[in-house]
Amino acid sequence: MKTVYVCSDTVTGIFSGIYDAWKAQKGEEECTIAFRGMIEAELFCDYVEVEETQHKAQAVETLIQRHLGKQAYWDIYHAVLADDLKKGEAVLGTMLAAKAIPDSKKIMDHLSCPKVGKVFELSRKVGGEAHLFKGFVRFRELTNDVLYAEIEPRSQVLTCIAPHFANRLPLENWMIYDKSHHMFVVHEAGKRWVLVSDEYADISGKLEVTEKEKEYERLWRGFVKSISIESRENPRCQRSHLPLQYRPNMTEFILDD
Amino acid sequence: MRINESMTMYEKLNILTDAAKYDVACTSSGTSRSNDGTGMGNCQQSGICHSFSADGRCISLLKILFTNECIYDCKYCVNRRSNDVARASFTPDEICTLTMEFYRRNYIEGLFLSSGILKSPDYTMELIYAALYKLRRECGFQGYIHVKAIPGANCELVRQVGFLADRMSVNLELPTAESLKLLAPNKTRKNILTPMRLVQNRMEENKQELMVYRNAPRFVPAGQSTQMIIGATPETDYQIMQVTESLYQKFELKRVFFSAFVHVNEDAMLPARTDEGPPLLREHRLYQADWLLRYYHFRADELLSEKEPNFNVLFDPKCNWALKHLEHFPVEINRADYKTLLRVPGIGYKSAARIVKARRLGTLDFPDIKKMGVVLKRALYFITCQGKMMYPVRIEEDYITRNLLSSGEKLPKEVVNMGYQQLSLFDVTMGQKRWNAVSDGA
Repeated sequence: MKTVYVCSDTVTGIFSGIYDAWKAQKGEEECTIAFRGMIEAELFCDYVEVEETQHKAQAVETLIQRHLGKQAYWDIYHAVLADDLKKGEAVLGTMLAAKAIPDSKKIMDHLSCPKVGKVFELSRKVGGEAHLFKGFVRFRELTNDVLYAEIEPRSQVLTCIAPHFANRLPLENWMIYDKSHHMFVVHEAGKRWVLVSDEYADISGKLEVTEKEKEYERLWRGFVKSISIESRENPRCQRSHLPLQYRPNMTEFILDD
Repeated sequence: MRINESMTMYEKLNILTDAAKYDVACTSSGTSRSNDGTGMGNCQQSGICHSFSADGRCISLLKILFTNECIYDCKYCVNRRSNDVARASFTPDEICTLTMEFYRRNYIEGLFLSSGILKSPDYTMELIYAALYKLRRECGFQGYIHVKAIPGANCELVRQVGFLADRMSVNLELPTAESLKLLAPNKTRKNILTPMRLVQNRMEENKQELMVYRNAPRFVPAGQSTQMIIGATPETDYQIMQVTESLYQKFELKRVFFSAFVHVNEDAMLPARTDEGPPLLREHRLYQADWLLRYYHFRADELLSEKEPNFNVLFDPKCNWALKHLEHFPVEINRADYKTLLRVPGIGYKSAARIVKARRLGTLDFPDIKKMGVVLKRALYFITCQGKMMYPVRIEEDYITRNLLSSGEKLPKEVVNMGYQQLSLFDVTMGQKRWNAVSDGA
C-alpha cells in the first residue's frame, strides 16, 4: 500500500516529510508527499501526518548537501519554494534516483529522469521569478525611517531575494511583505535579515509615507514616461517582459494620488 | 535657445531624460561587486532590469544627460544647437541625490550619464568627473555607473573617469567615416576611435596591475561598448556587420548596440520621412546577428556577402544560414560536438550545453531535448536522435522554407503589414530612394 506523508507547504514541512519517508526506506512507487488542506483523497493509501521539526529539516539539508553536492541542493531548495503540488514527490524522487547512479553529485545532469527534470524545471521557474523581483520590488520610505515594499509572488521567493537586498542596502532599515504567503523579511540597519510570519507582526496603521517619498514617486513616474520613444511604442513587448501581474505593486504603474 | 533658471527638478528631469532616451544601451551587466558594508549598492554579473517602458525597452539605469546644451550640430540629434528645444543642465549635487534616492527605493540599478557638449569636450568631461567623484567618494555609491567618454576630451580626464565608472562607451554614431562626415560635421572618426583605443589599452594595463595587486583600483571593469545609428545612411547590413566584427576583434568591445534611426529632425541630408516608423525589424535582425558573432562562433562573412548584403526579412540570420548550408545537416544530437549544435536553428547556447552534459548519462530522444529548451518546430528539420528524424522530412531548401513559414510561427509585424505589395520590388525601390536622398544632399 502507498503511504502519503502529509505536511505543510514550507521548507521545514517538506524536508520533514522527506525525512520520514527516507527513514522508512520506501521505494519511489510506495510513497508520496502531499500538503495539508490540498489533498486529493485516493483509495488504498495510508495517510501519515508528519511531525515537523527543525532537526529533521536540518538532517535532510545536510544529507542532500553531502551526497548530492551544493549545486544540486541549490536546485532542490528552489524547487521546494515553487508553487506546485508535486514538488515534494519530485524532490524525493530525485534523491532516490541519485542513490541509484554511481556518482550522486552528477544527479542534476540526469535530465532525462522525469523527477530530476521536474526539479530542474521548478528550480528554473523559481530562480527566474526571484530574479525578476530583484528588479521589481519597490520600496517606499515610511515616516519611521523604514523602507517598506509589498510583493505578490507565485513562489516563496523571499529567502531568495533577501540576501541580495541585505548586501545592497546594508545601512538601511527595510522590510518586504509577501502578501501571497503572509511572510515578512525584516532587515535592521547593520544587522542580518530575518524571516517573520505575519501572525507575529501587525503592521497595519504604521504605513504612513513621508512627504519626500511622494515627490520621488512623482519624479520616477515622470522619468518612466519620458524615457519611452513614442515612435517605437509597443505595449505587447512591454507586457511580455513585465507581465501585468507584477504591476499592482510597482510605483510607476500606480496612478498619482 | 530657451534657458530657464528657475526650473523645477521635475521639469529638468523630464527634459534631460527625454534628451537621453535615444541612447540605446541600458545594460547593467558585466561586473560583479559586493557591498563592503559602508555604503549603498552592489553589482550583479547578469545585470537587473527594474522596469520596462512603453516601447518595451528595459529600464535598468537612470539614463540622463548632464546637459542638453550642445555646441555641436549633428543632423540626426534632437539636441543639435540649431534646434529650438528647451534646454537644461543638472548640477553634480542634483545628480547625486537623484541617483541615491532612486537607488534606495530599488527603482534603478545605477546611473547612465551622457552629455551634450557644453563649451568644450574637456569642460564637459570635467563636469562629469566631478559628478561621479562626488557620487562614489562622498555618497558611498557602489552600484553600477555607465558613462560616456566625450570624443576629443583630454586623455587624462578620460582615464580618471574610467576609475570611477563600471562601463564606458564612445558612440561610433554612424557605421562609416563618410557618413559621419556627412551627418556629424563636428565629429571625426579619429576623435571617436582615440578614446576607444585609450580605454582598451588602459584596461589591458589594469589587468596586469590587478594580477600583482589584488586590491588595485579597477579601470572600467564591465568593459566598453559603442552604438551606431541604423538606417540614416545607405550602408548595407553586410558593411555594418563587418564594422561590428572588427570592433569586437580590434577594440575588444563588450557590446555594439544598434539604434534604429528615429526621425526627429528635418534635414536635407537625412532620408525622407516615411510612415513606416523606425526600421525596427532591421535593427532586430542586426542584434540577432550580433549574438551569433558573440556567442555562436559565426563570422560576419558567413552570414552575408557582397552578393547578398542584407538580411532576410522572413527568417532570423541563423535559420537563413542553415537553409543555405543544408550540406551540414542533419546533425546527430547524441554525437555532434558543441559548436555544431550551436549552428542548429532552434538550439540556443544554453540548451546546447545542457544536451552535451545530459547525453553523457544516457541517449537523448526528442521529448528529452524538448524539455531542455530546444525549439523543436524549428530544429526538427536539422537534427536526428539516434539516427532517426522526428518526422520523415526532405532536406531541401524549398521544402523546409515552406514548412517553416506555414508552421504557424509569428511573422514579424513589418512583413505582415506589407499586404499585397511585392516584397523584393518594394525593398529595392525604397533603398534606392534613400540612396538618392543622401547623395543628392552631398
